[in-house]
Amino acid sequence: MATDIAKAAESSDSGGSDVALVGEPSAHLTLDDRVWLLRAMLMMRGVEERAMTLYRQGKVPGSFYDGYGQEAVSAGAAFAMAPQDRLCILHRDLAAHIIRGVTPARILSQYLGREAGITAGRDGNVHFGDRHLGCVGMVSMLPDMMLVATGMAMAFKLRSEPRVALTWFGDGSTSRGDFHEAVNWAGVQKLPVIFILENNQYAYSTPLDKQFAVDPVKRAEAYGLVGVTVDGNDAEAMFEATRVGRERALAGQGPTLIEAVTMRMHGHAAHDDMKYVPKEQVEEWRKRDPIERQEARLRSLGVDVEAVRTEVRADIDAAAEEALAGPMPDPGSAVSGVFCEGEAEPLGDGQAPWSGFARPEASS
Amino acid sequence: MTTLTYLQAISSALRDEMRRDERVLMMGEDIGVFGGAFKVTDGLIDEFGADRVMDTPLAESGIIGTAIGAAVVGLRPVCEMQFSDFISCGFDQLVNVAGKMHYRQGLAVPITVRLPSGGGFSGGPFHSQNPEAWFMHSPGIKVVAPSTAEDAKGLLHAAIHDPNPVCYMEHKHLYRRVKGEVPDGVFETPFSARVARPGQDLVVITYGAMVHTALEATAELEDASIEVLDLRSLVPLDEEAILDSVARCSKVVVVDEANFTCAAGAQVAALIAEKGFEHLDGPVVRVATPDVPIPFSPPLEQAILPSVDRIREACRELLAY
Amino acid sequence: MSSSPTEPETASTLVDVTMPQMGVSVAEGTVVAWRFEIGDRIQADETICEISTDKIDTEVPSPVGGVLAEILVPVDTTVEVGTPLARIAVSGDVQPSGEPAPDAGPPASSDAAPPPSPEAVTPPTSVTPESGASGNGSPLAPARAASSRRYSPVVQRIAAEHNVDLEAVPGTGRGGRVRKQDVLGFIESGGAQAQEEPPMHIESPYRPDPAPAAQAGGQLSRMRRQIGEHMKRSLEVSATCTTWIEADMSRVETARKRLGVTALAFVARASIDALREFPALNSWMEGERYTQHSDVNLGIAVSLGDDGLIVPVIHKAHELSVEGLAARIRELARRARSRQLTPDEVRGGTFTITNPGQYGSIMATPIINQPQVAILDFEAVIKRAVVVTDDQGSDSIAIRPMTIFGLSWDHRALDGALSAQFLASVKRRLEDLTP
Repeated sequence: MATDIAKAAESSDSGGSDVALVGEPSAHLTLDDRVWLLRAMLMMRGVEERAMTLYRQGKVPGSFYDGYGQEAVSAGAAFAMAPQDRLCILHRDLAAHIIRGVTPARILSQYLGREAGITAGRDGNVHFGDRHLGCVGMVSMLPDMMLVATGMAMAFKLRSEPRVALTWFGDGSTSRGDFHEAVNWAGVQKLPVIFILENNQYAYSTPLDKQFAVDPVKRAEAYGLVGVTVDGNDAEAMFEATRVGRERALAGQGPTLIEAVTMRMHGHAAHDDMKYVPKEQVEEWRKRDPIERQEARLRSLGVDVEAVRTEVRADIDAAAEEALAGPMPDPGSAVSGVFCEGEAEPLGDGQAPWSGFARPEASS
Repeated sequence: MTTLTYLQAISSALRDEMRRDERVLMMGEDIGVFGGAFKVTDGLIDEFGADRVMDTPLAESGIIGTAIGAAVVGLRPVCEMQFSDFISCGFDQLVNVAGKMHYRQGLAVPITVRLPSGGGFSGGPFHSQNPEAWFMHSPGIKVVAPSTAEDAKGLLHAAIHDPNPVCYMEHKHLYRRVKGEVPDGVFETPFSARVARPGQDLVVITYGAMVHTALEATAELEDASIEVLDLRSLVPLDEEAILDSVARCSKVVVVDEANFTCAAGAQVAALIAEKGFEHLDGPVVRVATPDVPIPFSPPLEQAILPSVDRIREACRELLAY
Repeated sequence: MSSSPTEPETASTLVDVTMPQMGVSVAEGTVVAWRFEIGDRIQADETICEISTDKIDTEVPSPVGGVLAEILVPVDTTVEVGTPLARIAVSGDVQPSGEPAPDAGPPASSDAAPPPSPEAVTPPTSVTPESGASGNGSPLAPARAASSRRYSPVVQRIAAEHNVDLEAVPGTGRGGRVRKQDVLGFIESGGAQAQEEPPMHIESPYRPDPAPAAQAGGQLSRMRRQIGEHMKRSLEVSATCTTWIEADMSRVETARKRLGVTALAFVARASIDALREFPALNSWMEGERYTQHSDVNLGIAVSLGDDGLIVPVIHKAHELSVEGLAARIRELARRARSRQLTPDEVRGGTFTITNPGQYGSIMATPIINQPQVAILDFEAVIKRAVVVTDDQGSDSIAIRPMTIFGLSWDHRALDGALSAQFLASVKRRLEDLTP
């Protein structure tokens, strides 16, 4: 563990992205953990594909967004987070919700605008966070949650609690002021927070070269953060980088900015055919599919990958059936709940399936 | 009971809250070592330390956003905007993140945002505004505006205890001009209106600094008995108290220091038109600042802010109607 | 599902394939190609057609498995989002996914109360404001004088309640406008014709706010809302207390069978006599003003079923016999239920009796009909074992038809002792009835 911290600190000293953690299988994962990562990614892809089908069938209202091809970013990072840690999850990070314990039926109900959705129909698609599982739902103003995560980390530090806050954000978000306010604040106060830059090459149709002149991970040092660049299509690499960032945060060494390099394989939303993306670019990234990569890794370790797929598919079928059978929200409920009437109840703890949390905290 | 200025009452509420509840912390620009631009937090850092009287970076969105984060994990942040005008830089976090949180996902955001507001001292276009109506129009945010020292303390206690985001409009002009007897210790003033002076021929409905202007304007109006209703809370708006005054007096002047269009008083006037029509004996008359930025030079500023004379004249006209 | 008795022949259900909404702003789409022909079997989620919208070209998966029964939109045709494109016949044992019934439709609105008609919001006096007049310029511009003068809402309301002819009221406001204090002063000085033409409480010009739309259960009817408002206002203005007394109805039962009338008529007569004895209960409280009436104008609450209730008034009820009262009650109830009451027949009540006892309820706390000061509640007559004392003073248990009268009264106007005496008087008159 100590070496990891040193390694990350070293990467800071040498100027952000120069030292990258790329594609190495993590030594902190058991075989079960590795299967868990695959299952989370399969579940994310399967739920999103099912939701897309329902969308085309006219059953999902509004717009539809997915994270096809980016599953490793949220799966790997969320897997490194403890129950008492807190997450602000974005719209291409469904695997994080799955790892924290949101069931696929509730996710599909959310897409369908049903009563059983996490927001009971008050907000749509991926705009949700289950407060009982330590998650805050995103808003559409994208870097906003960076400040909320920073504030949570600030509270942890003020109370000397061994906890970490984490949020994702996109390449487009780096252009807005809240990005600056958050990383600067976290740097000034040396807070236990991890920012994951989900660099998926496009902000809607705007490519990176129209978004920034300097790679944002290079800004990290200027703000007093450690910055690392990771292969965002490798769930284990994402896990390892986040785990190291979390250890640093717990050791009082401040925030980490992890740039996860990945590719948005679908349009910005279902109504976007992505004509502005060169076909070769998509083809190149298709070869680096994060799920296929994890499957190959597991096959070589003798895991029956097909069995995992079958199990996930059955779960999704049952979830879809349950979600479609659920009622729509009562229109009479539309005007209630704007204000909290009772006691303010803080966020609860989420699930944390990584075997490292089951072991005694001897490792650190 | 102790005699305190409006400003001392606010400081006293902050101190009492910090003493009784370790979850309460203050965040803002220059509030710690310097004691705040208006010295509201003067000396608090000595008692509670720099962690709980936090000098933040110059970042209003950052202050509101991080306060939200701290609140959802159990703290009770009280944010100071150095001037209420600067809340425009934190607007997004307040309106989109804090205001919609509970409705969307049942997660309460117990933050208080202190907004030193109002003009009358040549603060110019960026240090004189009354932005309360912005937040009245945004679901999920409560808005209160004390006019007396007692209410300044009681409303601030209630705001900090409230599980929702509360914008606390503290009027700069009242800081050291208004003094009063204030109960000692922690007490809550309800988010409801107060009859500042009872009457039966006409009611002036207002809040904040304009309560004092209205009381002065109507103190000696020939033979007429004028009620002054101090709203104290704009969200929630005390409809019952407003309609009760209207039923009694039948003539209404609504005064805002804020710009005229869509001000809090416009909502009051709309409410009366809708639910108090049967009781009206004349048109609802509004006195407010015209729709211009607050100018700097004293003759210009005095020309637009509602004055004792303007309010008195409006009352006279309506009484004679 | 297929064996539902309403569709005995149908072994399959038709499921619509609709034009999907591909993006929030997309309003229409064009069918580019059909992948199947009518009669083809198709699996659920299999692409049935291709569409093009101004945002994206995409495929439409079939919502169910079945046989393509109809193609409703040919290729190259543009239709609105939500338009059915095709219908798929699902065989009897296959169910489309658990959607809410497609014909559930919007909440029924047909039985919602229509907005009040223009007549309904016109105050029921001769002082209707001149129509179409709308001042220009300052809202405080002088109102027009003399015969064309306009009156503020509060002035009209007070005038309607006190039957004041506003043309006769001198105005001291700008341009001779009649102000609230003018009309109040006029009434104070005895200018109102209130004694001849009592106010019409049921048809006050006050109209409650429309109930908020789209709440579950639909809008309340106008009458329902009026009753609610009226009742709430009563509880707000009055200091309402309720006193009960038990009465032996043996003699009433005998007498009513003989005369072929209801017990209510006897109760009405006894109440009228008791009111003559205690006229303080036959009066009005209007704000601070207390008026005792010599005539008894007796209101009888009549249920209109689900619609609500109305209180027709028997004017000069003290002049009527029990039989006469019974006939008037019958007549008014009939006219009330067929909505034939004239405004005169619902105004001017000085005391009210309510009689919901036919269902067996035994006690209630009625709400006073403003501006009256008391209301008598007459519930069911029930046979009970009671202790009776004979002429020799010895007690025994007897079976007697008993009832409990409840009197709600306004503590502003009178005290408990008086209400108890009044009830005792009613009881005595009923129990001592000469057969």
